[in-house]
Amino acid sequence: MLWEAIGFYSLALFLLFFAFKTITVPNPIHAALYLVLTMIGVAAVFFHLGAEFIAGVQMIVYAGAVMVLFVMVLMLFDLRAEIRSFSRGLFSGALKVMSAAMLAGLALGAANSSVAILEAPAAPLGGGDITRQLGIMLYTKYLYAFEILGILLLVVAVGVVSVSRIKGGTHARH
Amino acid sequence: MGTDAFEITVNFVKMVLIFLMMVQIVPLLVWVERRGSAYIQNRFGPNRVGPLGLMQLLADAVKFLTKEEFVPGRGYPFIYYAAPVVAMIPATLALNALPLSIPIHVEAFQMMGSSWGPYIFKFQGYDFGIGIVFVLGVSSLAAYALLLAGYGSNNKYSMYGALRASAQTISYELAMGLSIVGVILLFNTFSFSEIITQQAGPLSFGFMGRNVEIGWLPNWGIFYQPLGALILFAALFAEANRLPFDLPEAEGELVAGYHTEYSGFKFNMFFIGEYGHMLVASILMVIFFFGGYTLYPWLTPETVAAWFTGFSPTQASLLTALVLHVVMMTKVVFFLWIFIWVRWTLPRLRYDQLMDLGWRTMLPWALFNTVATAIIVLIARTGGVN
Repeated sequence: MLWEAIGFYSLALFLLFFAFKTITVPNPIHAALYLVLTMIGVAAVFFHLGAEFIAGVQMIVYAGAVMVLFVMVLMLFDLRAEIRSFSRGLFSGALKVMSAAMLAGLALGAANSSVAILEAPAAPLGGGDITRQLGIMLYTKYLYAFEILGILLLVVAVGVVSVSRIKGGTHARH
Repeated sequence: MGTDAFEITVNFVKMVLIFLMMVQIVPLLVWVERRGSAYIQNRFGPNRVGPLGLMQLLADAVKFLTKEEFVPGRGYPFIYYAAPVVAMIPATLALNALPLSIPIHVEAFQMMGSSWGPYIFKFQGYDFGIGIVFVLGVSSLAAYALLLAGYGSNNKYSMYGALRASAQTISYELAMGLSIVGVILLFNTFSFSEIITQQAGPLSFGFMGRNVEIGWLPNWGIFYQPLGALILFAALFAEANRLPFDLPEAEGELVAGYHTEYSGFKFNMFFIGEYGHMLVASILMVIFFFGGYTLYPWLTPETVAAWFTGFSPTQASLLTALVLHVVMMTKVVFFLWIFIWVRWTLPRLRYDQLMDLGWRTMLPWALFNTVATAIIVLIARTGGVN
């Protein structure tokens, strides 16, 4: 139990450090790389909680695919112009204040609801069955939300393809 | 980890041994690659240093260790140094999660004045219930080594290599994951050992309420998922950055791609990572589609255990596991040879051909394979009712 606590708190410290660095580092690529480390840390936390499947999916989808794409796109941009446009001005100042408010709200909400987490869950889940239960839940209780999300992603994909065809590129229509 | 000192020690030694196995297979594969390429191209290859040219590897190791270390002046030193280390992590973690033989049962014994209880040691570093998801998740991090190398070197060619690598990895990861979904549906599990256990018997399946059994064929995944096997093998080539998908390091166009600025042992670490990926890829092919450590009519856990009836239970278990490990590694070596064979046979793809193959050919076929497998498995399990 002691070792588990040490593991969890050191993991949490690392996670907080990486997340803090993600938003404070000036270089966008370095920020993205810190975000990768944060994602891997979140996967480790899921693993620690016994949700191995979610941990694996977190690694594949976020740490693997999404962040590779992020880093690659950042490398293709002219970063100096981006940094300049986001470091001064009224609009970005308002954005900063809004983000700070959102972060404070999130922290308050997490602090409020953390008491409930300490209570024992109603029915502890078996180790290997979590994946099966997750699948059953997704396809029965949350089927509607799941399908709506799928359609949303499809719309985004179609939009991206059409925009890239209009603006030119390797597969542009002439 | 384990419950007492002996178990913890053995489990730790096991992980180190598996890591050393990966590192030690690299010089052998380099030798096979050189001699194999020479054989394919009707040359001699390195045959002067030692018997069959094997001492050439030792000379190479000395060369790697004594070369000048070099850091590009305008790069990012931390990222530059981190990249070769990151290159070795995914392959090592993935290899440790793969079962290489059956578990070894150790009976209770006396040692150093105290008794040590019966143990079961798995022939792998660690076993999570969801081995497949873990291996996929870990190997999806492989692109970062290339990205970090390209970014940290601050070199145009390195950067091109890194960008190509990330685009390629994303494109082929989808097809790879989808082709594995067919296997998961077929065997109804995420665990590697269970998949292998299900392939140990004769080819038999239930269809529409009838049981079909073909006694002279093993129950291998390749007979159920030929399309999935083909797509997975091609995608694994792309994931390991091997020809015909070696655009990240295409030496004709990009000097050496992402590792242009690396020399000496740092370069060698990228190499260990690449060959580690080849090893993991070959083991995955063997586990998913070719029966893992079993070879049905002759070498299954039962038949091999029957050879060692005269020994004590611990010895018999150990010997059986070793024989089955050799069976598995023989299959793996065959796939490693295919990797090398393909490299010296096919030319490199052009970039648009690479993207078209990934997104327009392999992804639709992998999707089709997944949907078709799901429907057929549902019909076979429920007999058409429901």
